[in-house]
Parts: sequence; structure tokens; C-alpha cells
Amino acid sequence: MENFTNETIDTTQLPRYEAVAFSVLHSNYWKVTLINVFLFFLIIGTVLGLLLFFNQGLLAFMLEISVIYSVLLITVLVLSRISFKKKGFAFRRHDVLYRHGIIATNTIVIPYNRVQHVALHEGFVSRYFGLAKIEIFTAGGSSSDIEIPGIEMEQAENIKQLLMGKIQKQL
Amino acid sequence: MEEEFKKPQRQSSVGVLLMFVKTLQQWARGLWPIFLVYIFKFDELNKGYLFLGLSGLLITIGIIAYLKYLNFTFYLDDENQEFIINEGILNKTKTIIQLNKIQQVNINQSLLQRIIGVYELDVDTAGSNKKEGEIKAISHSLALALKASLMQNGKKAVLSEKEEMTSQAETAEERPFMAISFLSLLKVGITSNYVKSLGLILAFFATVYENGKSFMTHSDFDEKKMDAYLDKSIAIQSVAIIVFLLIAAILIINLVRVIFKYFDYKIARQNGSLLLSFGLLNTKSTIIKPEKVQIVTVTRNFFQRKMNILELKIKQATSGEKEERKSVIEIPGCNEMESNEILKLLFLKTPEKGIMLKPNFRKLVFSIFLSIILPLAGFFAFGKYVQPRFLDFVYLVPLYVFFVGSIVYFGFKNNRLFVNDNFIIKQSGAWDIDNKIIEPGKIQAITTSQLFWHKSADIGSITIHTAGGNLSFQLGNYSKIKQYVNLWLYQLETSDSNWM
Repeated sequence: MENFTNETIDTTQLPRYEAVAFSVLHSNYWKVTLINVFLFFLIIGTVLGLLLFFNQGLLAFMLEISVIYSVLLITVLVLSRISFKKKGFAFRRHDVLYRHGIIATNTIVIPYNRVQHVALHEGFVSRYFGLAKIEIFTAGGSSSDIEIPGIEMEQAENIKQLLMGKIQKQL
Repeated sequence: MEEEFKKPQRQSSVGVLLMFVKTLQQWARGLWPIFLVYIFKFDELNKGYLFLGLSGLLITIGIIAYLKYLNFTFYLDDENQEFIINEGILNKTKTIIQLNKIQQVNINQSLLQRIIGVYELDVDTAGSNKKEGEIKAISHSLALALKASLMQNGKKAVLSEKEEMTSQAETAEERPFMAISFLSLLKVGITSNYVKSLGLILAFFATVYENGKSFMTHSDFDEKKMDAYLDKSIAIQSVAIIVFLLIAAILIINLVRVIFKYFDYKIARQNGSLLLSFGLLNTKSTIIKPEKVQIVTVTRNFFQRKMNILELKIKQATSGEKEERKSVIEIPGCNEMESNEILKLLFLKTPEKGIMLKPNFRKLVFSIFLSIILPLAGFFAFGKYVQPRFLDFVYLVPLYVFFVGSIVYFGFKNNRLFVNDNFIIKQSGAWDIDNKIIEPGKIQAITTSQLFWHKSADIGSITIHTAGGNLSFQLGNYSKIKQYVNLWLYQLETSDSNWM
């Protein structure tokens, strides 16, 4: 008990999570997003095309359908771009931060000693670019899990090791 | 025995069959509308094509099942003390679970698995109620061996649990230190859950009315006459009577429900845990372990404050069965002293409200917009352009504005976040006022959020995630919130505080 001290913490001197510099996602991840969006719209377009082909009556609405289709496509592209630009992550010594959101800026912080398990997910398109998504799970349910996409496979493995190392060190 | 798990290995080979059935189920669920169409058109179809299509589908599923089987591997990484599962054909997922985080390993067998002669092994960590790792087909001996090596690190935990079990048996006879009297239950019955009971009554009458209607149209009952009679003569009286009956019914239903559910509520103490037992017909009992408690909610309304009763709701983090996880433990009708005593047992100190954070007035404006301006605009627009008869009910508008307005106003007035060194307390509610209490040490993660047009006003929101649910506070002073987040993170990261 001799060397036990209990100073008052100066809360203004604490490291500030809001001042952390975030790393942006890998630029190839934007290509992955683009490909995914176009694949999705290609499928919808094909279905629409088939529908028009088999149901000639719908041809009267051709203009409306194509306008809606292109507006949707542009909106999705713009939103994906904003969302891509705003996503960022940071690994501090004791916790991981992830920033995301289109209208709102959400920042989620998970201390390493609250991490339950980790998963690496490689999507079909992402894998072609050598990118992976790190999923970090806590006991707090799905709303408190972090999914960081667009990280190079090698770096993802390192991050996994880092997270696991941290977890072990804590115990 | 352990050596064999160190290399990535597949499930037992009959597992392909299991995968096949699972995939078939998934596809069937997704494609049943198409099947339905084909069944109705069965006679018109070319049987040859149908057969070809079906067999093509089955072969595709078979290949997918086989690929799934090929790509599913699991192994123990001895060096890092991890259990690793790889899965996925095109989209690949690698799940990594630390051995010392594993809480439970369950070996199950469904009917299909029994027919094939394989077992399912689930790996479970604390908190969230999904299974973190699932191996669908594994032989029994392998499953047992794997379980043994997975649990090697967790052995201590299992042992200590057993110890607890035996010590519980010894002290089960302990006398209850608190009991909730019948009077308190009566008080609870007449002061709470009005809306819930009203809903029950409405649902009951709706079904009765529906059934009665079909009955009436069948009999030669003169409905029109009846309606006219009801309309004219006793309209006002009957409304008053109905309201009176409704209130009486709500109270009676409330009383009966509360008494049936919570009769003879006893709280006993043993080895630091709380043992609850209650119920009129079948006695239910639960254990609360203070270290597992995540969120405690103290609820009381105006009447209850006058009668000096309040209700406690306790959420624990459990790693047991599914039903147990979702459940909230309720302690109805204790008085302030008793509740303080319980809280002291759970938290070791009495929770005190610290520095108060208020939401910005924009929250009030936004709620008014959402719950008053928007519906009214909709009402008038509908009345003007679609159905003018709707505007006959315009005299209800002030009533609505008054009623909803007061709910919104009191909701805003009661919305507070209190922070001190040991507790975070969120107060909310318009009529029933909730105080959600958590300890900073139970925090799992923190989300802060700010809309871009709130930047200059320096307001933002915070959500605190715990294993028992979230606690969120909207549109508060963002600088202050960020300061607290930094403090909580500091506390979490410098201590090995145990959250369960």
C-alpha cells in the first residue's frame, strides 16, 4: 500500500480521441465499391430489360424507368463516394477507432481489452485487389462491432496479430 | 490427441450431405415463389425441361455444398492460443477466437445430424447472443477431443463455477432479507403499465368485435336500428360509462397481472449474490450476480413517487441459454430504502447523480416537429386534398396538441445524463421516469456522433455500449461529451476492470 497513489486526473490533459489522425481506406477499395455497385445495377438492369422484353406494355413507361434508374445509380454513386471519403480508422496503443457515416460523423472506440474476437472477411471482388475487411467483435452486441473494409491483406493480418497481442497482454 | 487439431482440417466427410441439405433449404426458401408458379402450371409444362431444370438445380446445389465443405477448415493455433475457422467459397471469412475468451463449447445433434451420425460443435464467447464459431459436422470423439482442448484454458472458469454450485446448495436455506408486501404489489398494480393493459383490452375487444360482427350478420339482428339507437340517445352517457369501465378494467387487469406474476416476492442474499423468488402459481427464481450486472433501471412515475414505491429492472450479462440472455429481471414495488439497499449490494455504493448534462433545445424542436407538426400537416393535407370529411374531426386537434405536446415537453425536460466518477445515469421518460444506471467499468465500446450542421453549435450524441444493452444521450454539449469519453477510455484502458 506504500506506493499507492491516487492523484486527481486532469481530464483536459488526457489523450483526446477526437484529435487522432485517421488513416483513410486503401484507394483500391473505391474500385471495389464501384465494381460492386455496377454489378448490382447490372443485375437490376438485366431484370428490368427482361421485364420490358416480355411485357411490351411497360415500354410506354420506358422514359420514366430509365430516368429513375439513372437517378438511383447516380445517387448511390455519390453516396458511396462520400461514405468512402469519410471512412477512416486509427489504432492507438490501447484502443481502435473507426469513423464512418454520410450525414452524421460517427466515431466508435473499442478498447483492446474489450475485444472478444476478430474475423477477416475477403469479398469476391476485394480478394482480387488483395483487400480484406477486419471485423472486431465485443460483447456489446452488433451495434458495438467494428467492420473496417479496404485494408490490404498483409496489413489486415498484422492488425489481427496486434489485436490478439493486445488482448493477451491485458490478461 | 491434441496434435491433430494443429493442422487445418475439414469436417467429417458425410458433412457434405449436411451442407447439401442446408443449401437446399436456403435455396428453397429463396426460390419458393418460383416453385409455386411451376406447381400450379404443372400440367402445361414440358416434363422433360422440368426434369432437366430440377436436376440441373440439384447438381448446382451439390457442387456448392461440396465447395463449401472443401473451403470450411478449422484448427488450433498453438503459438497464438487461437481457434481459427475458415469458410466461404467466393467470399472468404476467417474467424479468430482467443482460447481464453471461450466461455462455452456445446456439442449438439439435430435430427438430420443424428441420421447422418455427426455432431455440431458451437463455440461461444461472452456477451453477444450469437454463436461465434460453428462446426456443423464432426464425429463425436473428435468433438469431445476438440472441446477438451478448447476448454483447457477455460478449465479454471468451469471449476470455479462448480464450486459456486456446491456452495449454493449449502446456503440455499438462508433467510430472505427482503420481501415485497402484498400492499406494495397493490400499489404497483394500480400505478403502472396502463398503456400495456389498455393495449391488451383493445386487442381483446377488437377480436370480440370482429367475431361478434360475423355473428350478427348471420343472425337476423337489425344492425342499422341498433346503430341509430346508439348514435342518438345515450352518446355522451355511454362514452362516460365506457371510459369509466375502461379505467376499471385496466386497473383490475393490472392488479391481477402483478399479483399473479410477483406474489410472494422474496430476495435472499448468498455469497454476495441475490436470490429472487416470486410468482403465485409457479414460483420463479433467479440469481443476480453483482459482477454480471450491466444496467440497472430505476423506474417510477408521479403516483409511485407519492406512494413511495419504485421498480427496478436489472440486466445481466450471461453466457447461458438464449432465453436467459434476453430476459430482464424485474423487482417491482420496493420503497426507496429497499432499493438503495439492493443497489448498494449490486454496485457496492449507492449510485449518486453527478454532473448533469442537458440536451440542446433543438431536441425539443425536433421532437415537436416530428410528433406534432408533421402529423398535423399530414392531417390537413389529407383533409384538404383527399377526404374533406376528415376535417370534421378538427376539434380533436387541440386535444392532440395538448396531449402529445405535454408528453414531448416532459420527455425533453426529463432527458438528462448524470455523470460522476463511479456512475453514469441516464434519466428519460415523460410519465414513467427511467433512470438507467451503469458503471463506467462495464463499457464495451463508445460511439459518438455528430451531424455536420451541428458542428458550429457544438452539440452531438453519444451511445455507450454494454453487454446488457446501449445507453444513448442525444444532442448534448459535444465538447463535454468528448471529454467524458476520453476520461472513460482512460479508466477502461488503465485498469483491468472486470466487466463480468
